[in-house]
Amino acid sequence: MGTRLASALRGAWRPPENDSAWLLDPERRGVPGRETMARYGEREEVDLVIVGCGAGGATLAQRLARRGWRIVVLEAGPFWDPDSDWVSDEAGSHDLFWNEPRVIGGTDPVELGKNNSGRGVGGSMVHFAGFVPRFHPSDFEVRTRDGVAADWPISYADLKSHYERVERELPAAGEHWPWGDPHGYPHSPHPIAGGALRAVEGARRIGIEFKVGPVAIANGSFGNRPHCIYRGLCLQGCKVNAKGSPLVTHVPDALAHGVEIRAGAMATRVETDAAGRCTGVTYVAAGVEHHQRAAVVAVAGYSIETPRLLLHSTSPRFPHGLANGNDLVGRGVMVQGAPQVAGRFPEELRMYKAPPPEICSEQFYETDPARGFARGFALQTVGPLPIAWAEHVLADGHWGQALREYMRDYNHWYTLGALAELLPRAENRVTLAAETDANGMPVARMDYSQCDNDRANIACAKQTLRDVLEAAGAQDVLTVDRYAHLVGGCAMSASPEGGVVDSDQRAWEVPNLFICDGSVMPTQGSANPALTIMALASRLAERLGEGRVDARGARRAVAA
Amino acid sequence: MSGDVSHLRHHGGAAPHEDPRPGLPRQRRGTTPQGFGRYPDFDVLAQGEHWDEVTRRVVLDRVERVPPIRFFDDREAATLGAFCDTVLAQDREPRVPVLAMVDEKLHERKLDGYRHADMPPDPQTWRVVARKLDEEARRLRAEDFAAASQGIRDEVVRRFAAGELEWEELPVDKAWSVVMRMVLAAFYSHPWAWSEIGFGGPAYPRGFARLGPGQREHWETPPEFEVDPVSDVRERGVD
Repeated sequence: MGTRLASALRGAWRPPENDSAWLLDPERRGVPGRETMARYGEREEVDLVIVGCGAGGATLAQRLARRGWRIVVLEAGPFWDPDSDWVSDEAGSHDLFWNEPRVIGGTDPVELGKNNSGRGVGGSMVHFAGFVPRFHPSDFEVRTRDGVAADWPISYADLKSHYERVERELPAAGEHWPWGDPHGYPHSPHPIAGGALRAVEGARRIGIEFKVGPVAIANGSFGNRPHCIYRGLCLQGCKVNAKGSPLVTHVPDALAHGVEIRAGAMATRVETDAAGRCTGVTYVAAGVEHHQRAAVVAVAGYSIETPRLLLHSTSPRFPHGLANGNDLVGRGVMVQGAPQVAGRFPEELRMYKAPPPEICSEQFYETDPARGFARGFALQTVGPLPIAWAEHVLADGHWGQALREYMRDYNHWYTLGALAELLPRAENRVTLAAETDANGMPVARMDYSQCDNDRANIACAKQTLRDVLEAAGAQDVLTVDRYAHLVGGCAMSASPEGGVVDSDQRAWEVPNLFICDGSVMPTQGSANPALTIMALASRLAERLGEGRVDARGARRAVAA
Repeated sequence: MSGDVSHLRHHGGAAPHEDPRPGLPRQRRGTTPQGFGRYPDFDVLAQGEHWDEVTRRVVLDRVERVPPIRFFDDREAATLGAFCDTVLAQDREPRVPVLAMVDEKLHERKLDGYRHADMPPDPQTWRVVARKLDEEARRLRAEDFAAASQGIRDEVVRRFAAGELEWEELPVDKAWSVVMRMVLAAFYSHPWAWSEIGFGGPAYPRGFARLGPGQREHWETPPEFEVDPVSDVRERGVD
């Protein structure tokens, strides 16, 4: 009886006001409704044009379309069909990343593209691992609590209901979460594979607690999205439709409510009038320049492309770029320190099985004065496939026969990673390089250098990972340094001097320009940012939709 | 042959040897690079019928359709072919056609999404590396890198990997990273290499069901040669 009841209810609990999972086709993975999608004229002034169809842009579009807004989304990359465009293959998934030219500098340069930048409908979440932890309440007040970085102009309480709502839409699966603001998840935790079992056991021996999840992968079917098959290729785009990305969680419902998504449309300028208000967006599609008029513009291009677009949108009124009167656009861009430590075990663990995101610990998330640095880190599983594992071995200095021998030992290794909170710094910034892309638009340059607090945090995280693996019985460990998760660059702030947008993500200098992506985050915590980007978009949509944001004519002739 | 075999200790060592790890069995089913592997009865290509068609095409093309060299000229191809063989210890057939795979990516401009401010674009980096490998080989009294003895090739690569060379055109450590990551992405995307290391390969739509420690799918096979790198190093005294 219990089993039958559970079976009858599985996937039956629908999130309110989002039918995406039920609009998908049970047999095919592509989003239905592309052929019958709404079309708007370029000279027609739509209510909102959004640049970027990822976590921020797609969520904002879905929400406001349900309130009757007429919306065009411009997406530089393709409108993916998982059946025909994606492969169950590491090297074959290269096109999921933003591979357009970018320049990197600074003393600790951040490699861009693979691992942190997506391109196409669904954005970076198409290739994100799937972890969807919330930020902790402490993240919103690190200046007050820890004397570093900046406080957010909003608090955890402002986002809490949106966290809950998005977790139901993804849907998120995991154990009850004891850290931050303790909470449960709508779907029960997934089974974990051998390596994660070993890590949990080892951690327990030294007093470290891991929990299973939280991941944006339904446990069971969800609407017309099938059950996860544990094939381990989450970072290559989920061909199953089991992992949530905006492509399956928000785009179907957005199309059903009249949103037009123009894929292959690269925005090159946000246009403004003499009064300093946005009038629309200029973009290039198939080599031809177009312009879409709009009453309101929302830029959702993430931490590199959003600053790039604003900096490129110069005019006599905005000679240094749009919303950049205080020279803050592009500043404070951040990544997390994401070192990985692999351990060698006597038995085969075959870490290519099961989703890479399995277990997580946020026990070291907040500042511990005994450690001697501000803020902290989270511990997670990683599960590198052969090419990623080869880069790991290479980073340890091996080539030739030694490299081949390590690689033949692949099935005996298991890998944990940390996400260490690195602090925002004004000199870490996105600027325009001299080099231009195929459209003649200057490419982005990102400079990044760590501070002493960052280095101390990463070193402590690495040591903790080694301790866990050794307690789990690892015979040997390999460590590599890397980064994860871009955020910041157009920070939200309590005053115009402190950031680019206000607490409603509206540009301080442009009344009808909003930024709706991870670039508005003043700090990044030790949490993967996707859920928070979606929750911010959900909150912004609610405030715009209910007329709680005084957009001063930002949107005309639409009843609240 | 090339490289060091100190998989037991980190950051290199100085004990190159002629063959793969002694005792490593010959492959019995399917093909592996150089014909050795830990899973002599595992041929990942035998699972191809269980893969979705789009993935199967991409994977099989790596075996069946080796692209012609179009980006590199003959001289560069000879030098870099020898380089790829050396860094991957591909000292005999069957070889994964790594240089052809790299050449195709450069020819089609399938590049990564960044360039270091102090580096040229990746295609140019490859050409510089080709020229410099020949110069370094001549410094060790070889005609060029491709014609050099294995010992000289190993020594040039060792210095390249260790960042001991100085080239005015670009930072050597970053050049090593650029070329090696393309080399590794090519080699370990090839199903022969998957069979060698026992990687299950594409698993859509079938998925994996046996996830626990020491568990295998019914179609995966056990390793036939197991060496714990830690104790192996100790016993063989190469540490």
